[in-house]
Amino acid sequence: MSSEDLRDKYAFVGVGVTKQGKIPEMNADDLATQAIQLALEDSGMKKGEVDGYIFQPGAGLSTVTPLHRAGIPAKFHWQMQTGGATAISTVAAAIGTMEAGLCQVCILLYANNASSMRPPAGGATSGTPMAPQPRSTEGAYGIFGPATSAAFMARRYMHLYGLTKRQLGAVAITFREYANKRPEAIMYDRKLTIDDYLNARMIVEPLCLFDCCLVNDGAVALIITSAERAKNYKKRPVYVMGYGLDHSLRELGGAPQDVFEWDGFITQKAGDHAFNMAGVTHNDVDVAEMYDAFTFFCLSQLESYGICKKGEAGAFVEAGNLRLDGEWPSNTSGTQLSWSYLHGFTHLVEGIRQMRGECMECQVKDAEIAMITGVGGLGVGSANACCILRR
Amino acid sequence: MAEYRKQLPLITAVDKPFWDAAKRHELLAYCCQNCGTYYSLIVECVQCSTPKMEWVKVSGKGKVFTYTIYHHVYNPLWKDDIPYNAVWVQLDEGLIMMSKIVGAKNEEIYVGMPVEVVYDDITEEVTLPKFKPVG
Repeated sequence: MSSEDLRDKYAFVGVGVTKQGKIPEMNADDLATQAIQLALEDSGMKKGEVDGYIFQPGAGLSTVTPLHRAGIPAKFHWQMQTGGATAISTVAAAIGTMEAGLCQVCILLYANNASSMRPPAGGATSGTPMAPQPRSTEGAYGIFGPATSAAFMARRYMHLYGLTKRQLGAVAITFREYANKRPEAIMYDRKLTIDDYLNARMIVEPLCLFDCCLVNDGAVALIITSAERAKNYKKRPVYVMGYGLDHSLRELGGAPQDVFEWDGFITQKAGDHAFNMAGVTHNDVDVAEMYDAFTFFCLSQLESYGICKKGEAGAFVEAGNLRLDGEWPSNTSGTQLSWSYLHGFTHLVEGIRQMRGECMECQVKDAEIAMITGVGGLGVGSANACCILRR
Repeated sequence: MAEYRKQLPLITAVDKPFWDAAKRHELLAYCCQNCGTYYSLIVECVQCSTPKMEWVKVSGKGKVFTYTIYHHVYNPLWKDDIPYNAVWVQLDEGLIMMSKIVGAKNEEIYVGMPVEVVYDDITEEVTLPKFKPVG
């Protein structure tokens, strides 16, 4: 069997998203339980039908409590962690378990209460170590937090291609404009201008506060099942056309120089596998939801997935091409930078909603095919993931 | 010597030769003796089917490959150093290594800046290789 045989064979039938933001009155298990209930309601499915559960352990989330509290009779509960590539990895894993006859309906879940924890996890300020401090070579040099890797990459890229701060800022501003049209977005009522961006507090040069994703509490649950069963539920199924993963010997500093690209993530294997499986190319994509923990990640992905040539992504974004009327409408909820940080699930949710036609003012008209990406970040290696959905 | 309170590097049996050399004020890098490729971390050579990895002495000369300046206080022990730099230096042998520039103001640092290694004996046991501008 080749992976093309799995094209369109499984579909998303349920989406449950809790309130996003600062939610100190609920812990991660409360949020996860609620997300499961919302996903069941969204699909019109009975809880007894779910028999698989795969989750990414966000800050504060326990292994089985949400499952028990929601009354889900899952045969297994699998914990997966490969950073920002996890969400798409759970899709591949769920399809694998269903192909193997292990389950018929699977819940994919992410929940966290990072912003109510001390110190917060993720975003501009994460990486703050707790005392007592363990030995760390990075720490010995004062190197902390995930924003640092993006800063090193952005600086190198600026040197190679002349990227400007205005171009980098265009990523943040474009996504904020989407969020300003989405009432559930954390940044819904906060505008962002280029002056705000250029005057913002620096975090790690050249990245300022608005180059870094949000840190917030929230949960999401998705329900996936076979295309055959998917027709039985309330919402129009969203089919998984393809997916691909890439993790080579390419970690920051860990790779030999001649295979190590500072100016972009190496996504070729993930993209090729996903598009070959899907039987389409990026020219067929109507809307993209690209992993955006840091603004720079979007530029590097635009180039490494072949949407732009090397060095052209900054100008491409500044020209408005990620907007609804641009060449490559992207990150239409405002995603991690302005909607909500739910790791890679942020993008999966929005891709599914685009395919359902639920994105209101941010809906890409007649969108039929969505590309979702995940970046595992550098702390867990350059794990990249790509997923193609269709309505 | 006043008590050193910042984090110390994590030294294991595997990279102990590097840190032992730093203490002697020598810079070592991991290199495949089969093909001559230098590596930034401890990895088996991906070029060769029969890699022969060894620690070898390197020049300690190179150029700033990329850098950042910290403005956010991630760690209270670094609060008084803000804004401070962190860099990746590409040595003449080709490998890149994480480090820090000393003897230059933050605004003087640029990608391509020629640098050479200096040794900071932070404790009696540990020496951190850092880099200073040359020329």
